[in-house]
Amino acid sequence: MTLNRLSFLTQLINLFTSAVAYHERVDSFVYLLSRNLKVDLTLFFSLDKTRGTLSLSAGSNSLGAERPRLEFSLGQGIVGETAQKRSPLVVSAQETGVRTRNEVLDKIFPDYQTLAGFPVADDNFLYGVLLLIDKDPRTYSEYQQETILIACRMLAGNIRQALLHEEAKKRIAELAVLFDVAKSVVSTMELQALLERVVSISAKVMNARGAILRIIDEVSQQVQVSSEYGIIPKGFPGMDDIAGQAPTASGELTSVTAEIRDAEGQKHYYAGIPLNLKGHLKGMLCLYDKMTPNYRFQQFDSENIQLLQTLAGMATGSIENALAFQQIESLAARNERMVNVLTVLHDISSVLMTTIDLDAILTILVRALTLTNAMAYDRAMVFLIDKSGETLTEVRHACQVNPPPGVPLQHALIMDHHGNAPASATIGNEPIRVPLKDDQGIIARTVLFRKPFHIVRADRHPQVNQAIRNILTGKEFLSVPLLAKDEVTGVIVVDNHLSQRPFKDEDLHFLTMFANQAALAIENSRLVATIEASSHELTLIRERMLESDRLAAMSSMAEGLAHEIRNPLVSIGGFARRIDKVVAPDDPLRQYVDVIIYEVGRLETILRQMFDYTGETLGHFQEHDINALVADSLTLIQRELDKHNIRVVRELAEMSPVYCDERQIKLVFYNIFQNAQQAMEHGGVMTIRTFPLEKSDGLYAAIAVSDTGGGIAPELVFNIFNPFFTTKEQGTGLGLSIAQRIVARHYGDIEINNELGKGITFTVTLPIAKYCLIPQGKTAPPATDAEED
Amino acid sequence: MKRILVADDEMSIRLLYSEELREEGYEVFTASNGIEALEVVDKEPLDLIILDIKMPEMSGIEVLRQIKEKYPNLPVLLSSAYSEYKQDFGTWASEEYLVKSSDLEDLKAAVRKHLKD
Repeated sequence: MTLNRLSFLTQLINLFTSAVAYHERVDSFVYLLSRNLKVDLTLFFSLDKTRGTLSLSAGSNSLGAERPRLEFSLGQGIVGETAQKRSPLVVSAQETGVRTRNEVLDKIFPDYQTLAGFPVADDNFLYGVLLLIDKDPRTYSEYQQETILIACRMLAGNIRQALLHEEAKKRIAELAVLFDVAKSVVSTMELQALLERVVSISAKVMNARGAILRIIDEVSQQVQVSSEYGIIPKGFPGMDDIAGQAPTASGELTSVTAEIRDAEGQKHYYAGIPLNLKGHLKGMLCLYDKMTPNYRFQQFDSENIQLLQTLAGMATGSIENALAFQQIESLAARNERMVNVLTVLHDISSVLMTTIDLDAILTILVRALTLTNAMAYDRAMVFLIDKSGETLTEVRHACQVNPPPGVPLQHALIMDHHGNAPASATIGNEPIRVPLKDDQGIIARTVLFRKPFHIVRADRHPQVNQAIRNILTGKEFLSVPLLAKDEVTGVIVVDNHLSQRPFKDEDLHFLTMFANQAALAIENSRLVATIEASSHELTLIRERMLESDRLAAMSSMAEGLAHEIRNPLVSIGGFARRIDKVVAPDDPLRQYVDVIIYEVGRLETILRQMFDYTGETLGHFQEHDINALVADSLTLIQRELDKHNIRVVRELAEMSPVYCDERQIKLVFYNIFQNAQQAMEHGGVMTIRTFPLEKSDGLYAAIAVSDTGGGIAPELVFNIFNPFFTTKEQGTGLGLSIAQRIVARHYGDIEINNELGKGITFTVTLPIAKYCLIPQGKTAPPATDAEED
Repeated sequence: MKRILVADDEMSIRLLYSEELREEGYEVFTASNGIEALEVVDKEPLDLIILDIKMPEMSGIEVLRQIKEKYPNLPVLLSSAYSEYKQDFGTWASEEYLVKSSDLEDLKAAVRKHLKD
């Protein structure tokens, strides 16, 4: 029996380089080997590394329709031993224990005599064992064994190639899937669409029945976004359960696979793949029920998990981008809304600037609050704090209105549909009044706490005033203060009672901004009104002063004229009367004299009427140094004081000028000095002090005169200013009475401080010129007409 | 016979007053200014003085003050073309303040009143 090695190996090379499939090659290999070596049966057992077994995968003869399951474990029988030793092994059935050890072979070839095992291996790996079976005893020459080993080595190389090919094919398929996924996830920025794609692709790639993807905000524990695909079996653990099961090494979630049984005992499998998103977002992709081609549920293997993780990793980036995009979009939308509102606020503000009339401002305010193209509230009320500062009074209200068509907001704010100024109105006949007290409800509190309120259920809120509740009828409303320059001037109240549109934080924010502008406009209007009133008052005062200057000048001129004319008139008239006495009644001269007397009398009457009046009215009101007046008055009485041995102490401060009639004021001082002198008939000290004195209504010049005359009985003090009251023998009782009247006409005051046993102090206070605005309703300068009566 | 001094810087007034008063039966002295008036007051025993206010040398008010200092009981009637001196309390020491008029009845009535005793 000759073996043509060259022929045999050539056949093998042809086989291994042919295009036939892997399994057919192995089949052909065992067949060729049997034929060339004249072996009765050649079998190939392939190694299953994971299980550590060698199982029949090809045979040289037909093994029947159903290949019998033949399996050796490592070290068992000839196959197991060959695999372990990795060297050829030839045994005879006659040897002890061979039959027992290889009894599995009895199933297919019970009457064997010789068994030969050859390892199919390359330098690194064992791929299986070739078993040669003969029904006759036989030996294998060295040459034959060498040839078989070469053949086995060639088979090993071929198997390795086939395995690599398979692996490569699988990897390419995976890459193709991943490529599809990648293409898909970058094709959209829309978050929901993206998630739908991710779950559907994952499910399809895994051939899973269902999939869920969910992204949760860890802080709020709220589901941010989620998507489902296919059938999610009932009673399956939820996302949180799966995420909870995942081992948390270093805080990051890892993938988890598990199985559960449903109510009918059916086994289900699931896999959870975490998505490692940035920030406090947590994502999880879950797949359920991977299916085999024959519709059996199957476990997710490590390769599946790896692929899913890769897929999840790719999706994570896109989801993050989509999340950012979504956030940007919502920010952009918010910005647009804000720009719109700010534009409206700007328009309103520029219209408010066009007027300083409070009435017009209030009308613009309620219109801005209720116009559909402005703030668009269903109803609005404006309250202002009244002058007393104790009550809020409703000054305007309005309901929602559409702007006149085609009219821009700025015009719509100041005109109605007919192009007229909008009519103002208050709710009902009587405006609502709210006392500004803590227990008077939200609107009062808006002022007291200086902060806006957002009331959701006015009917249930304990702080809502009944009057307001009747109008707002149990709905949501906003109440914001009109706050300008740190002062609350009123309140704006709005609601949406018709549309029931709920208020958002934004509404309160924008209404507060609006209220601030409104408050400024109201404040400005009030300031202007105050300034106008003051300006009017100043103009009046100035006019009066000019008038009095003019009259004084005229009066001074008139005085001169009166004197110049009066003396000659007295002489003319006086001598005419004398002539009249000596002229006979029937003398023709008499008629002439009478004419002279009559005409002189007429002139004198005119003079008296004109100049006596002006001369008396417009006295000598001027700015005077009060200390100089004190000194002048003192010289008039100095002789008397010396005579009675009275020492004068002067404590005169520097004083602003006082607007007064010097003669009258000198009389006041003279009378007071005289009173002091008369109180000290046997000597004493008269102290005169002048000093500026701040009173509630301005600055005054004060002149205090004290004597050491022992004072007067307390019960008499109240009479001291009464006319004709006197405690002295010499006195007329008029001095102090006149002094008091003069001082009163100067808008001043005399106070008396009586210290029994010591003396009396009279304190005269006179308003200082520049601080003394003559009060309205009084004429200036004061008339002097009483003393002479 | 009661003795009256008329002090006035206007000659025509002095003449008018003197003639009218003499007719009434008084002895009349005259002075044309304040200094002269004081000299007469010191020299002659008088019962009454009619005094103009606006005079050269010394004003009637100062004259009045000095007269009242020396002779507090001597009645002085002020006779002035100015009505507004009434407000000057310096004039209040006088017995009467009369605004000059060509009708001398008021003046004569005042003289009679203060010389009654």
